Amino acid sequence: MEKAKISPRQLFMLIVLFELGSSIIIPVGLTAKQDAWLAVLGGMVGGLLLFLLYHKVGSYYPGLVPTEYMPKIWGPFLGNIFAFLYVIYLFYLAARVLRDFGEMLVMFAYPETPLFIINLLWMILVVYTVRKGIEALARTGEILFVVLFILAMASLLLLIFNGSIDTRNLQPVFEEGPLPLVKAIGETVFFPFGEIVFFTMILPYINDSKKTKRAGLYALILSGLILSVTMAINLSVLGYSLLARTNFPLLATIQTIELAEFLQRLDVFFIIGVVIGGFFKITILFYVAVMGTTSLFKVEKPEQLVFPLGFITLFLSVGIASSFPEHIQEGLDIVPMYLHLPFQVIFPLLLLVGAFLRNRHKQKSSG
Amino acid sequence: MNRKRAVLLGLLASLSVFMSGCWSERQLTDMAIVSAVGIDQDEEGKYVASYQFFNPGNIAGGLQGGGGGQSPPVAVYTATGDSIMEVHGNMSKKVSREPYYSHANLIVISDELAEKEGIASVLDAFSRGSQFRVTTTVVIARDVKAKDLMTTLTALDKVPSQKIMDTLETTEKAMGENINIDLQEVIRGLVSPGKEPLISGFTVKGDVKEGKKQESLQATDLPMTIEADGNAVFKNGKLVDWIDGSGARSVLWVLDRVESTTITIKWADKKDAVSYRVVRQKTNVSADIKGGKPRISVGIHMEGDIGEVRVPIELKDPDVLEKVEKEIREQTRKEIEQAIRRAQKNKTDVFGFGEVFHQAEPKEWKKVKKSWEDSIFPNLNVEVKVEAYVRRTGLRNNSYLSDIKSEQE
Repeated sequence: MEKAKISPRQLFMLIVLFELGSSIIIPVGLTAKQDAWLAVLGGMVGGLLLFLLYHKVGSYYPGLVPTEYMPKIWGPFLGNIFAFLYVIYLFYLAARVLRDFGEMLVMFAYPETPLFIINLLWMILVVYTVRKGIEALARTGEILFVVLFILAMASLLLLIFNGSIDTRNLQPVFEEGPLPLVKAIGETVFFPFGEIVFFTMILPYINDSKKTKRAGLYALILSGLILSVTMAINLSVLGYSLLARTNFPLLATIQTIELAEFLQRLDVFFIIGVVIGGFFKITILFYVAVMGTTSLFKVEKPEQLVFPLGFITLFLSVGIASSFPEHIQEGLDIVPMYLHLPFQVIFPLLLLVGAFLRNRHKQKSSG
Repeated sequence: MNRKRAVLLGLLASLSVFMSGCWSERQLTDMAIVSAVGIDQDEEGKYVASYQFFNPGNIAGGLQGGGGGQSPPVAVYTATGDSIMEVHGNMSKKVSREPYYSHANLIVISDELAEKEGIASVLDAFSRGSQFRVTTTVVIARDVKAKDLMTTLTALDKVPSQKIMDTLETTEKAMGENINIDLQEVIRGLVSPGKEPLISGFTVKGDVKEGKKQESLQATDLPMTIEADGNAVFKNGKLVDWIDGSGARSVLWVLDRVESTTITIKWADKKDAVSYRVVRQKTNVSADIKGGKPRISVGIHMEGDIGEVRVPIELKDPDVLEKVEKEIREQTRKEIEQAIRRAQKNKTDVFGFGEVFHQAEPKEWKKVKKSWEDSIFPNLNVEVKVEAYVRRTGLRNNSYLSDIKSEQE
């Protein structure tokens, strides 16, 4: 762990940027068809509960990250194995997200540039930022949060004035009954809201730990609302059938803007948003992965690990799938079931039980 | 220290090579900017695509002198292929530069292709590629080849594709008899089981051969004009019918796309005696179930002014205006009902009634979804209600016609 401190406000902005980073550009909760925006709200509630769970576990071991308190709860042997798996999970997710954003840029803007080169450029930036530490990242977040906010507001206003929003596309509500909605909520709990689990590696840096809980909850609520509104707008502009066929709904939505003959082709809004969001998503994931490794293997200078691990992540990102559809397929079918579910729900629950039992025991022996 | 600085400087310099975005750079002079794409089909079933390229030097013209006038503002090249991508490849044999599609804002499909093969198989490449825009306008070439619409030069607008788009936009606003529809809406119409797309037709009137020549533009009355001409009706992606005039306006009315239009009504046994100019209008379409059967209600509300009278009429009298309003209501309702009957006969739901029913009665929709177009829609019970209000009569009240007549008597 590095010696750094960030404020609850910076945490708030980092969480919002992280949660929205990739979820806002790809279709989320589409199992519920035109109720996807409701599914997002449902998923948000699930995310809030998960965050409370992580916060509770963390509060037993203030100042420690999961890879450090896992051995304390489960004993050195089992705990270290799980901490190691946890670090692998972090690296895989970092590589996945890197792949997501690399693919996006290749598909939309740089069709002739190899994916590896795009990912390499991403990774250079990410490695540089991680070497500078979490404080630098948090300050960057404060600036870019404002940029994103202005972009989002401008797009929203343009869409309204453009008249492309047709709320009839949101009807009928609950067409197929509640089952698809429940299923879609299940998906959105894991992605994007459950990904708040990675912040358990960052929470010990907060300088005012009393406000951590509030900052996290508010950030999740804001992200949920923004994401829900975005999905509702995407749906009402494109309609479900079109939205389901686009890889990047937000891009298609922004492309419909054609105002006063000259305010059109605002794809650059989308690209700027994507690059900012992608930067935070990849950097935070990679940062927590590096920090996990550092604490697990008791490395004294985390900077030394950044470069080699960056290369591993880079190669991993190119190697995990041979095509974009395969990548997405894995993300939808395998990752939630076999990675998100255990690491986001089951292990934290077990950790909570373990931490509770151990500390009760401790209190008894001391008292 | 100095060496460190030198290394840093070297690194910075290398950035300009690696990060300046030169990977797939394209110079402006290597690109041929496509303004429109026209697609025909030859006897063997191959696509024949005509690309209209901007001829940059001849569009600017103006102050520098020279420029325009020497050669046309656009150049048209034609290539064939079994798919749009193959056409793109074959195009490179003829065009010295690489086609660049980001500024293409018009796709023209010939009526022949639309009738035989349908438009669905053509459009995928355009919606998939990252250069093409979803807001590209789509029109059908009626009774002429798509290529003819590409090659015909126009007077006020130098670029023909721009002329077609502007004409469409203007006439949709002023007449409401042609629909301005983009790629995205066409595809949505093709996919939806409760709606069929309606696409505006364009044709070339006059001498197509003369129309290609720049000299033809040296006249006030051009030997050829590009005109909006009816709207193509589709079923399962294939062109099945054309609707023109007031029939087309009725469809646009139900779709709530009419901005303003002129309705002429009969008065005192004289046809088209009074013209009513619609200033604003709003259409509401709703659906419910009555007696176990789907029912659609169309409610149209319009306000406007009297634009012209050709018979003496007492416009000062509110009672007379009320009668005029009634006449307008009756006529509009008849026109719309006629258009609906025609669509029912064709079994094409251009009005999107199916979508409305889907949104209102999702459970019932599931049962009728498959048979909607072929058995439900043709026998659908549609109720049309029109409200029309005459608000003003322009700068005059009674016409001078009233006095001329009374003197004669």
